[in-house]
Amino acid sequence: MLLTRRPPSRTADTGPRGGSPLVDRLVGGLARSVPIVDRRSFLRRSGLGVGVGLAASQLTLVRRADAADAPKTGDGSGKKVEVKRTVCGHCSVGCAIDAVVENGVWVRQEPVFDSPINLGAHCAKGAAVREHGHGEYRLRTPMKLVDGKYQRISWDQALDEISRKMLELRKASGPDSIFVVGSSKHNNEQAYLLRKWVSFWGTNNTDHQARICHSTTVAGVANTWGYGAMTNSYNDMQNAKAAIYIGSNAAEAHPVSMLHMLHAKENGCKMIVVDPRFTRTAAKADEYVRIRSGSDIPFLFGVMWHIFKNGWEDRKYLEDRVYGMDKVKEEILAKWTPDKVEEACGVNEATAFKVAKILAENRPGTIVWCMGQTQHSIGNAIVRASCLLQLALGNVGKSGGGTNIFRGHDNVQGATDVGPNPDSLPGYYGLAEGSWKHFAKAWGVDFEWIKKQYASPAMMTKSGMTVSRWIDGVLEKNELIDQDSNLRGLFFWGHAPNSQTRGLEMKKAMDKLDLLVVVDPFPSATAAMAAMPGNKDDLNPNRAVYLLPAATQFETSGSCTASNRSLQWREKVIDPLWESRTDHMIMYQLAEKLGFGKELVKNYKMVQGKGGMEPEVESILREINKCVWTIGYTGQSPERLKAHMRNMNVFDVKTLKATGGIDKETGYKLDGDYFGLPWPCYGTPELRHPGSPNLYDTSRHVMEGGGNFRANFGVEREGVSLLAGDGSHSLGAELTTGYPEFDHVLLKKLGWWGDLSEDEQKAAEGKNWKTDPSGGIIRVAMQVHGCHPFGNAKARAVVWNFPDPIPQHREPLYSTRADLVAKYPTHDDKKAFWRLPTLYKSVQEKNKDIGKTFPLIMSSGRLVEYEGGGEETRSNPWLAELQQDMFVEINPKAANDRGIRNGDWVWIKTPPMAAVPDFKGLRVKALVTERVDAETVWLPFHFSGRWGGVDLAAYYPEGAKPVVRGEAVNTATTYGYDSVTMMQETKTTVCQVEKATA
Amino acid sequence: MARMKFICDSERCIECNGCVTACKAEHDLPWGVNRRRVVTLNDGVPGEKSISVACMHCSDAPCMAVCPVNCFYRTDEGVVLHDKDVCIGCGYCSYACPFGAPQFPSNGTFGLRGKMDKCTFCAGGPEANGSAAEFEKYGRNRLAEGKLPACAEMCSTKALLGGDGDIVADIFRTRVIQRGKGSEVWGWGTAYGKPAGGATPAPAKEPGKS
Amino acid sequence: QNAPPAGTAVTTPEKATREAATTTGGAPAGFVAPAEPKADESAAARAQTQPGNNAPVWRAARDSGSQPGYSSLPGAEQGMLIQPFVQYPGSRLTNAGEAWREVRNRWILPYGGSFLLIVLLAIAIFYWRKGPLGSPVRDTGRKVERFTPFERAAHGANAAAFVLLAISGVVMAFGKFFLLPVIGSTLFGWLTWLLKTMHNFVGPLFAVSLVIVVLTFVKDNIASKADFVWLSKAGGMLGDHEIPSHRFNAGEKGIFWWGVTIPGLIIVASGLVLDQLLPGLAYLRGDMQIAHMIHASAAVVMIAMLMGHIYMGTIGTHGALDAMRTGWVDASWAREHHSLWLDDIDAGKIPAQRSGQPDTTPASTRPSAPAQGRA
Ligand SMILES: Nc1nc2c(c(=O)[nH]1)N[C@H]1C(S)=C(S)[C@@H](COP(=O)(O)OP(=O)(O)OC[C@H]3O[C@@H](n4cnc5c(=O)[nH]c(N)nc54)[C@H](O)[C@@H]3O)O[C@H]1N2
Ligand SMILES: Nc1nc2c(c(=O)[nH]1)N[C@H]1C(S)=C(S)[C@@H](COP(=O)(O)OP(=O)(O)OC[C@H]3O[C@@H](n4cnc5c(=O)[nH]c(N)nc54)[C@H](O)[C@@H]3O)O[C@H]1N2
Ligand code: HEM
Ligand code: HEM
Ligand code: SF4
Ligand code: SF4
Ligand code: SF4
Ligand code: SF4
Ligand code: SF4
Ligand SMILES: [Mo]
Repeated sequence: MLLTRRPPSRTADTGPRGGSPLVDRLVGGLARSVPIVDRRSFLRRSGLGVGVGLAASQLTLVRRADAADAPKTGDGSGKKVEVKRTVCGHCSVGCAIDAVVENGVWVRQEPVFDSPINLGAHCAKGAAVREHGHGEYRLRTPMKLVDGKYQRISWDQALDEISRKMLELRKASGPDSIFVVGSSKHNNEQAYLLRKWVSFWGTNNTDHQARICHSTTVAGVANTWGYGAMTNSYNDMQNAKAAIYIGSNAAEAHPVSMLHMLHAKENGCKMIVVDPRFTRTAAKADEYVRIRSGSDIPFLFGVMWHIFKNGWEDRKYLEDRVYGMDKVKEEILAKWTPDKVEEACGVNEATAFKVAKILAENRPGTIVWCMGQTQHSIGNAIVRASCLLQLALGNVGKSGGGTNIFRGHDNVQGATDVGPNPDSLPGYYGLAEGSWKHFAKAWGVDFEWIKKQYASPAMMTKSGMTVSRWIDGVLEKNELIDQDSNLRGLFFWGHAPNSQTRGLEMKKAMDKLDLLVVVDPFPSATAAMAAMPGNKDDLNPNRAVYLLPAATQFETSGSCTASNRSLQWREKVIDPLWESRTDHMIMYQLAEKLGFGKELVKNYKMVQGKGGMEPEVESILREINKCVWTIGYTGQSPERLKAHMRNMNVFDVKTLKATGGIDKETGYKLDGDYFGLPWPCYGTPELRHPGSPNLYDTSRHVMEGGGNFRANFGVEREGVSLLAGDGSHSLGAELTTGYPEFDHVLLKKLGWWGDLSEDEQKAAEGKNWKTDPSGGIIRVAMQVHGCHPFGNAKARAVVWNFPDPIPQHREPLYSTRADLVAKYPTHDDKKAFWRLPTLYKSVQEKNKDIGKTFPLIMSSGRLVEYEGGGEETRSNPWLAELQQDMFVEINPKAANDRGIRNGDWVWIKTPPMAAVPDFKGLRVKALVTERVDAETVWLPFHFSGRWGGVDLAAYYPEGAKPVVRGEAVNTATTYGYDSVTMMQETKTTVCQVEKATA
Repeated sequence: MARMKFICDSERCIECNGCVTACKAEHDLPWGVNRRRVVTLNDGVPGEKSISVACMHCSDAPCMAVCPVNCFYRTDEGVVLHDKDVCIGCGYCSYACPFGAPQFPSNGTFGLRGKMDKCTFCAGGPEANGSAAEFEKYGRNRLAEGKLPACAEMCSTKALLGGDGDIVADIFRTRVIQRGKGSEVWGWGTAYGKPAGGATPAPAKEPGKS
Repeated sequence: QNAPPAGTAVTTPEKATREAATTTGGAPAGFVAPAEPKADESAAARAQTQPGNNAPVWRAARDSGSQPGYSSLPGAEQGMLIQPFVQYPGSRLTNAGEAWREVRNRWILPYGGSFLLIVLLAIAIFYWRKGPLGSPVRDTGRKVERFTPFERAAHGANAAAFVLLAISGVVMAFGKFFLLPVIGSTLFGWLTWLLKTMHNFVGPLFAVSLVIVVLTFVKDNIASKADFVWLSKAGGMLGDHEIPSHRFNAGEKGIFWWGVTIPGLIIVASGLVLDQLLPGLAYLRGDMQIAHMIHASAAVVMIAMLMGHIYMGTIGTHGALDAMRTGWVDASWAREHHSLWLDDIDAGKIPAQRSGQPDTTPASTRPSAPAQGRA
């Protein structure tokens, strides 16, 4: 396929040389006439681990006679070889890795065949993590931006100056003038500690990647049936008879998940992919359906139309376990007839019917979605439509079924669960006073003290701003925002800037700040964006920019939660490289300077780390175990998690369940546990709940990971019961019908109060299962009576507290289809939404004819080699070599009409560029391919380091620029946010592509 | 004696480049040297299939046949290795290899390429197994450690199978029977001169219609 | 005896056979036979007409030499799975790498090698049977200038380069048959690496000197009537007397054209390709193979021809080497071997001394009078 071949290019700088090309080539050639040794000799200098594996061998397929001899090394003295078990730090699949460390140097990585999640498998990113142990492009020391150049400073100076500046800002503008962007890269303990840190500082202005990732999923799904998480597991997909991937490109974004899917497929599972692009995942599907970006609801409802028409819905299931599906059915049958469906999403009747039929005939079936669904201004509605499809088919709460929502970063699930969220405390506790009191107690601090840290009690219970909107927090007119001051200080604590939309405005906001702190192992694109010259009038003369080198997850220990809710413990592989420090150490050290150090670490054992004292990670997890009851983060004690990591071999690959197995070190019996104690793992560790492999699964006992839908929305609505129908309950439950969540009153009513021990009674008095610090209510409900602590209710097909209780299709704010905008307009503008005015209709109205000037739908997403904003992976030469150019996928027709040929340089132009007259667009390479249709272009979003055609290399700190740089797609993206969660509209906007001359 | 072979199951390969990076990391290969690469056919259109390719350790290896200094040798396991101390960097092996396996650290002005480097089936080189000299020149010797190639072991979907030819062919055949399709083994005929045991014949060598 | 690689075989053969057994029954109800597959259809079409038959994909794999697939790695030919199928002269129709190997290993090396050996042998026999040509050089006292210092320098440089190239080339091509067994691979590797590196750098020098040599001597190597006579009598080699010739006889002219100029230019051109010195070329494997086959074939021809030349220029002809060493020949030698040339000198058509350098030959021996006729 000549058409789709990417052009050869050699743009990466493998070391700049001067002079003529011939001389360069000759010099290079001569230099390389000798065998390649440079990098390998680096390892050698560090006590090279040759033959390490001779000892650590796991396989015996071939063994040479002389191989068994103990390895001989040059120095031979005091060589220490250790194998540390860790987990890939990139995506949420959670592939385990054995790191071989010799004399403190990470010399090698080995596959962990025992891991039930990945069986030793890795995608490019996972196979290349050892490069982290080399870190030649890392940020090495703290830095400060002085006259446009980064200068090395000491940690003491950095911490002093940053804290002083923070206190100044607090004095002048209150604690809410600072926004802390946390990270899904932090382990659970760090993420949790950061939420605590921000609370002690006194603001809810904190957020992390989940906002721009799966926030719509979390909100939409939680509001449908209880928890906003992947219901089953990658492994469980092996049990599926059908799988529909809609808006997920798992082959690139969750490659190792395909191990399980392809196996299922070989066993007859029908795989359907619905995507505007013919993705690498689609290439593996039995059926591929192309839809227009943003039109998932018409498609899903179009499929459901056939399901209802043919009576393929699971009536018994709907009756017992779902509220409101009749209304949905009515609406779908009336509104989403095949013609309407085809008009809105481009899928004809026959195709929709075929999909419906496959799903109906192959149950249980699972649905997988990802960013294709979430990143829209109607993301919350789209994901609910997906839930509705699964509910109608009766697929949720079943092995092989469920909604397998593939999460993003390695620990985005955990950071969402217990980390820095602007609208909740760890465990989705909300910001009401009761929650604060619950945590004040758990943290061992006075509630009144926390309250004083905040600007006011009102600000304490008010959701903060979101990471998607921090730029508006800086730039918006003060009188329009719902807090006293604008944002003046910003922390990027493990988060890229080029992952948020509206990059052009972000530059402005960055220049306007008083304080910008990057805490990251890499300088990140923030460093370059902050240092590059912008519009002079925007620049705050008092702005201070600091870069603090953070340790990676391989340089500390802690737990992280994979997409399937399994927690895995990472052992520390190596000491922090260069001068970097662990995130929790930095939090503690800053807290000391800010005056709440003691409170922050009250419950923790302090240990010596590289660069100072730091809280022991285990003791942070123990604190989590003591308070996060809601989602069952309580049973996963460090000891249990570590025992799981040491004994991965006892867990079944399909069910994740341990058969037998006793941990040698602790004597812990693993039998019956699910791998990683997938949350909810209710009650105390002593209760020995095995974790929940599949959520809401009534075919199992609650003590064996079974469950049912959550009673979280009251017991009745408009005279209709919201509790599960008679006879619908988890296996062996004493209550054989629906019931509300447990609290002290219900326990007493049921006569179960006496099952609590005396101490438990004391603790549980006046409490419910989520706030009872002893875990007694949970224990009694589950262990004694087989009931689910959160009650047994129906899933909600109608989410009445959302803007669109029944999901409605609405066109994106920037749509190329004026006709559809008229039919499916967006929401009305909102005044104070997450503290900011948020526009819908006014933007859409103004741009309803935008398709005339910007006729192409612009979408973006992932390449397998890179991750997120990409600075980390683009600094890894093993990965960088594989993708050296930022590109745009464009259909041959669209390309030909514009005189563009494969490999040409093109300019991408989008509406916001009009506001910056000298900005020429994104200069990228054209990849002409039929992967996208003629109305759509697609760009990877991992690039940064180029800006409007200019290389930003000079603006990175010395020696720390990523190997590969390219235009960031988000420099070009437009306004648009989800009406529930503030998710940014990244998957659907508009652009024009022009051939670049010169 | 085991006879080492690779199979890449194109029904499973998802072009994730895990194998490529696994190799780079395991052997600490420099920029520009890729012992393995992944090629996608019908890219972006239905029928898209990817194949991961490295040295196939051919039975009647063209590289070996043309090497002016006879620096190639075949191990008992059928692995085609070469001796970098003897290699003169002439590039003939790369002209001859059907699969583009031989790699050179340099581009070759004045014919200067440096010593050839290629997939060793993770079996090191002529130096003592597990020695520092072996590692520096050829990377790790996993076979000597009783392990299989890093690329195959880490393949994200187990598309890439590497090991004793009989066993990998067995595994592959099982899959083929199970899914009832995709039985062709890429490159097998070219590299080994005969179809994989039991599977349908590899593509004919002559181009033409099928 | 060997366990399967961990994590690979998630399926068991029993299960597979079971499944296979259940699927080999009759067609299920409602089965609609797919359309007949067509030979040329795309992979997508084939998936519909005959699911499970991936022939189009394998066709694409095989054709990836000419229609490359996609690889994210930059650089040429990364999308190629197997080199394109070609049939080089003498090879089967097979992938280019294999075809090239066949040409080199089945034709160029064995036949080229044998040819060189035969030529060598023929020269030896010739020498054994015939000995040096001509009569031993006599000092008649009269010298004519056969080669100017410039000509000799050019020839010398060219000859030196050629010899280096030929030796290194021969070692590269044939060393493993005759040297390797004798000196062992380590030494042979070093030596060949040295020679090969030298070959790569000396080649371009040879190219320059070759051009000079050709330009220098071309004038006197243009064929003339005498050459036909010379040729028709096979240079007199069958008899006792040489056939009269101009400055160079037809044999020498033959060498000049067919042994030096033509193969030389071919070798230079192809050698520069192999050296990757010509700008604007992609240096794909196919280019290199073709360049190599041309280079090596021409090299064999040239080596063979020049073996003859060198033989004739050294032990094969009395006095020839002196001509090249000193630049001067005795008139008697000239009379014997190039009488027409001497005639021209005598006639004044050609100056007896063409170099401007101070004359080092004794005045008495300078050509002044016509030669005394043949000895
Ligand atoms: N290699 C790699 N892996 C990653 C990451 C990474 O950066 N690199 N990041 C991780 C993270 S943070 C996340 S969130 C996940 C994301 O994983 P995915 O969501 O699977 O990845 P994307 O490429 O963002 O988007 C998936 C697909 O959505 C399609 N799409 C676009 N618009 C629409 C639409 O309107 N409807 C539908 N149905 N589809 C649409 C796109 O064409 C694309 O193929 O990946 C994780 N894994
Ligand atoms: N146009 C467009 N935009 C998108 C998306 C899209 O599909 N299209 N996808 C969105 C999605 S789903 C997401 S999740 C975001 C992802 O975007 P980001 O998450 O913002 O991107 P990353 O580069 O992964 O950011 C993680 C940062 O954390 C750093 N880091 C790694 N480990 C540690 C650690 O231990 N400590 C600290 N302090 N830092 C660490 C890394 O170096 C890196 O700089 O992008 C979003 N933006
Ligand atoms: C401009 C002049 C020349 C150049 C640039 C040149 C270059 C080369 C190159 C690049 C090779 C390939 C081997 C390698 O990469 O090192 C080669 C091989 C060879 N060259 Fe030359 N060469 C030149 C002249 C000659 C001459 C004059 C001869 C012989 C008379 C010669 C004989 C050979 C032979 C025999 C081989 C080996 C072929 C084989 O092993 O199959 N070359 N040359
Ligand atoms: C060691 C190697 C060589 C020796 C000993 C040698 C020797 C000689 C001698 C003695 C002559 C003079 C013959 C006469 O007077 O008629 C001669 C002429 C000549 N040689 Fe060589 N030669 C050698 C290599 C070469 C090479 C490599 C070339 C070119 C590639 C070459 C090109 C010529 C030419 C062009 C002439 C002039 C005669 C003619 O044009 O036919 N020689 N050589
Ligand atoms: S990036 Fe994801 S799929 Fe790839 S190795 Fe890491 S965890 Fe596994
Ligand atoms: S694949 Fe190439 S390098 Fe490997 S043995 Fe075959 S010919 Fe030689
Ligand atoms: S490059 Fe080395 S290994 Fe390859 S043919 Fe030449 S000498 Fe042999
Ligand atoms: S077998 Fe080893 S050397 Fe060969 S490609 Fe795989 S990892 Fe690389
Ligand atoms: S790791 Fe496996 S699936 Fe990924 S590209 Fe390599 S062979 Fe294909
Ligand atoms: Mo994400």
